[in-house]
Amino acid sequence: MIALERLSARAGSFELREVSVTVPAGSWGIVLGPAGSGKTTLLEAIAGVRGTMGGRVILRGEDATSLPPETRRVGIVYQHAFLFPHLSVEENIGYGTRDIEAAREISARLGCGGFAGRSVESLSGGERQIVALARALAPNPDILLLDEPFAALDPRRRARVRAELRRVQRERGTTVLHVTHDFVEAGTLGDLAMVLQHGTLAQVGTPDTLFRRPASGAVADFLGAENVYTGTVTRAGSRAADVIATLSFSGDGLELTGIGDHPGGVGHAVIRGEDVVLSRQPARPSSARNVLEGTILEVAPDGVLARVTLSTGGTTLVAIITQVSAHELGLAAGDAVVASVKATAVHLC
Amino acid sequence: MTARPAHRLATAGVFGGAVLLLALLALPVGALIIRGGADGIRQLGADRELQRALSLTALAATSATLLTIVLGTPLAYLLARDRLPAGSLIGALVELPLLIPHPVAGIALLLAFGRASPAGAALARAGLAIVGSPLGIGLAMLFVAAPLYVSAARESIARVDRRYEDVARTLGDSPWRAVRRVTLPLAGRGLFAAAVVMWARAVSEFGAIVILTYNPKVASVLSYDRFTAFGLDAALPVAAVLVLLALVPLLVLRSLRAGSGPLEHSP
Repeated sequence: MIALERLSARAGSFELREVSVTVPAGSWGIVLGPAGSGKTTLLEAIAGVRGTMGGRVILRGEDATSLPPETRRVGIVYQHAFLFPHLSVEENIGYGTRDIEAAREISARLGCGGFAGRSVESLSGGERQIVALARALAPNPDILLLDEPFAALDPRRRARVRAELRRVQRERGTTVLHVTHDFVEAGTLGDLAMVLQHGTLAQVGTPDTLFRRPASGAVADFLGAENVYTGTVTRAGSRAADVIATLSFSGDGLELTGIGDHPGGVGHAVIRGEDVVLSRQPARPSSARNVLEGTILEVAPDGVLARVTLSTGGTTLVAIITQVSAHELGLAAGDAVVASVKATAVHLC
Repeated sequence: MTARPAHRLATAGVFGGAVLLLALLALPVGALIIRGGADGIRQLGADRELQRALSLTALAATSATLLTIVLGTPLAYLLARDRLPAGSLIGALVELPLLIPHPVAGIALLLAFGRASPAGAALARAGLAIVGSPLGIGLAMLFVAAPLYVSAARESIARVDRRYEDVARTLGDSPWRAVRRVTLPLAGRGLFAAAVVMWARAVSEFGAIVILTYNPKVASVLSYDRFTAFGLDAALPVAAVLVLLALVPLLVLRSLRAGSGPLEHSP
């Protein structure tokens, strides 16, 4: 278990401020955030290699704030691997353990047994990351901190190593805190996810909550929501605040019905592109459905998907549909279409 | 069309300047070796005073360097990792002896460790006279050359990313063990080069030594002594031997730089 209580730390002129979060034992926590938001500083403060300025780091239920890193039993893997260049791959993996068999076993499982005798200099960036993972796992730490450990792996190897690491983590009951920029990775691996912005914790929740119900326009924007609008939220009726309710939004030339726990006032409406349904036929608006008429500005293919940008009353709305649907509807720039969005898909924050 | 002659002129200027500087550097050294080199090598086998001076020089320079490695490497580490309060001030103080004229360094040492000083008196009572002894030679060499070691060692340690040590710590190493197993091996070549530079500087020292300890004579003092007592011809062979000996550390440094792998360690 990793629990942070109002943790503050400094790295140069950058400050991490009052971060409080708990990653339960045996679960996989994801840390998301733009570059320079304090993700690496957070991991270093937990590992004990970066001094804290306030707050507490609690590991396995015990206060570890003043413990030196060598007694914390926390493994760390940096994006740049930091393999010891004067040692062989095998010596690197065995650096933190006397149990040679354990080191060999984890090497074999992660697929780096084949280059044990090689020098560090001869490894590719991806191979270095796998060796760094094996080195961190060899002493069998029950807490593992990962700073973009798969960034240099090719997609195929990344999927394999990620799956194997997930198996190892489940078998051993390791608590993981994992910094990544990959939203797919965050969704598939994370039991819990958090967003750091400007050194503070912007939101914590399950990955699904973060993507579906971002806490702010900035979080929604960072998490890649295609449509984020700023305006005024009105709470209808007598429902108590802080309860998810049906709300009205007006702003950026749009009038929308949505859901959220917004108290009313200035706010944001967030619509994910895949929740926008396009059709040629006019649809009947209702309290459960927003209907917006618009003109297509661009249809951009994106793998098996198509990104359709429309202008509706002067405001841009992006829909993500399959290429097949785009083809069947015969969508092209300049066409008039009707976009409908369920009220439950309009998140107000 | 006008650019071409101007370009040629600039090229000629650059090459001409380089040749002029090389000539200024090489001419005195070349003249010395040509005039005194053969005699110097012959004398090396027969001249007992020269042999004694060279052994004393090497012994004192080696002792000063070894002592500086032991005392200066921890200091260089603390400076490189910003672990000292007022680190930049301390760093500047360490480098100060490099900027002091060498006879002034000798006078300062005389003041601090001469028989009239409390420290010098205490050392003399313990049978460790500084003035007029090999100890004074070593001290003068250490004072003028140790800053070179500390500065170069600090740089080579600073080039080893702190995160190598951090990773070693998370793998169970104590701070000292992480430095010994990771940082020192990675900075090793740089530290060795720093020691060679310091040793070469110590061997060539004259100004501070001549004030602290004229006798017994180190090689540089011997060449000066022969020049003032017997003239240029008598000083030439000794001087030429010193120049030839200076080539040893130079070649060591060149081979270190040409050695495999970068001196810098990034991930």
